[in-house]
Amino acid sequence: MTTNLEQIALSDYEVKSELQKGLAEYYQVKSGLESLDRFVQYHPDPSRLMQIGVTFSHKGLESIAEAMADKKPWAAIMPGLNPSGLLHFGHKQVLDELLWLQKQGADIFIPISNEQTYLVGEANSLAESRRTAYENIIPGIIAMGFKPEKTHIFVDSDYPDIYNVAIDLSKHLSLNRVFGVFGFGKDQEGENPGTLFYRGAVQLAHILLPQYSEFGGVKPTLIPVGIDQYPYIQLARDLAKNKSMNPPAAIFLKFALGLDGKGQKMSASRPKSAIYLTDDPQTVLKKLKAAYTGGSVLADFQREHGGIPDICPIHNLMMYHFAKDDGLGRRCSTGEILCSECKKEAGEQILNYLAKHQSELAEANKRVNEFILNTPIRSIFNKCERGRR
Amino acid sequence: MNLEQLLLTRQLVKKVSTTDQILERANLVKPGPVKLFYGETYDEKGPPVDSMKYYFFVSNLAEALQKEGINVDPIILIADTAACRNAEKDKEKYTMVLGEERLRFVQDVNEIYNAGLHLLRMSDFIESSEFTERRRELMEICRGNSEFMEAIEKTVPDSQVIIERKNNFRYSFDEITTIIDLDVKIGPPRENLYDDVARKIAREKEQKELISLFLTPTFPLGLSWAYFFINNEIEGNGITAYKAGSKKLHRNRIIVGNSSPEFARDLIQNSFISINPSLPNPVLDLGIISEMAQRRLESDDSPITLADDFYVGKITASQLKEKVGSDVEKYILSKFYY
Repeated sequence: MTTNLEQIALSDYEVKSELQKGLAEYYQVKSGLESLDRFVQYHPDPSRLMQIGVTFSHKGLESIAEAMADKKPWAAIMPGLNPSGLLHFGHKQVLDELLWLQKQGADIFIPISNEQTYLVGEANSLAESRRTAYENIIPGIIAMGFKPEKTHIFVDSDYPDIYNVAIDLSKHLSLNRVFGVFGFGKDQEGENPGTLFYRGAVQLAHILLPQYSEFGGVKPTLIPVGIDQYPYIQLARDLAKNKSMNPPAAIFLKFALGLDGKGQKMSASRPKSAIYLTDDPQTVLKKLKAAYTGGSVLADFQREHGGIPDICPIHNLMMYHFAKDDGLGRRCSTGEILCSECKKEAGEQILNYLAKHQSELAEANKRVNEFILNTPIRSIFNKCERGRR
Repeated sequence: MNLEQLLLTRQLVKKVSTTDQILERANLVKPGPVKLFYGETYDEKGPPVDSMKYYFFVSNLAEALQKEGINVDPIILIADTAACRNAEKDKEKYTMVLGEERLRFVQDVNEIYNAGLHLLRMSDFIESSEFTERRRELMEICRGNSEFMEAIEKTVPDSQVIIERKNNFRYSFDEITTIIDLDVKIGPPRENLYDDVARKIAREKEQKELISLFLTPTFPLGLSWAYFFINNEIEGNGITAYKAGSKKLHRNRIIVGNSSPEFARDLIQNSFISINPSLPNPVLDLGIISEMAQRRLESDDSPITLADDFYVGKITASQLKEKVGSDVEKYILSKFYY
């Protein structure tokens, strides 16, 4: 005879199993995309995230592979970094991948879309979004170890040339095509002309900027991004073809699970879902203690049935940021380790990392100017002048 | 090296007909010889070192069977007539001359390495009444059987099907007529299409069926990991071992009598190499060919262990590249300064 608690545990287990199935379906490689397995097999030193399957599929990676192997110029871009809040572990996984790409020879471009933050109401003013960018986001990125000579960071509102590039590109896109990708004005409240310009032109300018002559001209480019951004990548690829540029390649990463559970992304818009890179130890431990897990409400039930690591944000944090293999997942799913022990291990790893990261921040703050891109984009106007003659 | 050791040589033999199958065949045909066969065409780029894998293997197989007291006939066929069929009309004579050159090369291999191979030209027998009669009979059998004709059509690349239909699949029927009475055919895995048709027909005729023995595919040298990642179609069957110009990659092949040791070393140094045994390893392939050459020159009959040594970590990738660069010069290239 089962007790009430056992029934609750069983029904919780069923819910979590369903969630696991849903996530697995979400990450099934979509048509038009390729699995990353062959790249991992052939590359002499694939990234840790690729090896453990967090970066799991790609589009058009062939041009990047060739550039990597032949040591030709190429670039990687992290578009859409929104300074609505502080840097968290969800950002860190993409930045880790960017660091690996830089080691493979990429020039890294990190546009910070502070106008977007303001336009969608996630900052009270442009000034506020700008402050977050300079005081938190950029030092946080620098502290991760990027090389200044191969890293180009800009805050949109301080780099108006990006808007000229956006104008240059938007000529080659129709509103219908943009609406097709974003469903603009249909589902989203608070849309305004600025958001339309941002999504339909500025974000594409971020992606194609490295191919302007000021940065060496047409070259292979790569975007590490979530699978939900695939239609956007398609749009950028189409636009690149129209502009006789190289269609950007993409690698797709699984998203970081929020600590608040239910299979949602870690996001600054839900502060309890994220561990920030500036959190103090007490806050981290408190967040971990309260975090949702793939375990059971009953220890005995979990020892017998095991946990469900695939939906567990703690397992997710450990895998995405610290582990070399999924030993923890195996221990969890066999019931060998319970959530409290796992959270303790995670706490130690996270605090160690944050102590080191935070100790670098003061120095990083002083070096912001070394990383800021301010190259004027004149090539657009040169073409106009030639046209007049 | 006994038969079993030879057939189990890692990274050399891809699909093994079992020792028992081959020994059974020997019993069936005795006192007549077991016909071992490897056939190749060629192109104007010259003899690739990769062909030597097949010559040496046929020779080693023959010796291993002889040790068991089995009578063998190790045949290497230069398919000059087939090469002419593929050539442009005005290049037929030139193609026959190239065939003579390839034959001379195999004769040299035979002498230098004491390989004991029986060399044949396709043109020596293709017009004989015996061959044409056998071909006519096979064509008749196939035309009366739609399954056979489908299988024949599959032997032709898609781009050639219409032309071959007009030619009554002459190329394919010549190939099948050539191999149908053989015992053990050695070749690259892609030749299975021909071998399968030959077996089907033999079954229909209640005759002995051809035994296929495939060696590992050949891969180009001097190319990075990115080439193999991008060109995934090459993983399965590789490139044509005996044609240096296969997939227009002649600059990535070692051509015996033409490539200098420096060129070979450079190719080797710039080659993709991986400790994953499921991935192409052109350097290891070349190392095995060089080791087979060395064994033959030194009359050393011990098994080839290079792949085992590499995959268990006894030698590193850079050591392997060094060794292969030196061995290919010492045991192969230096013997062919024309």
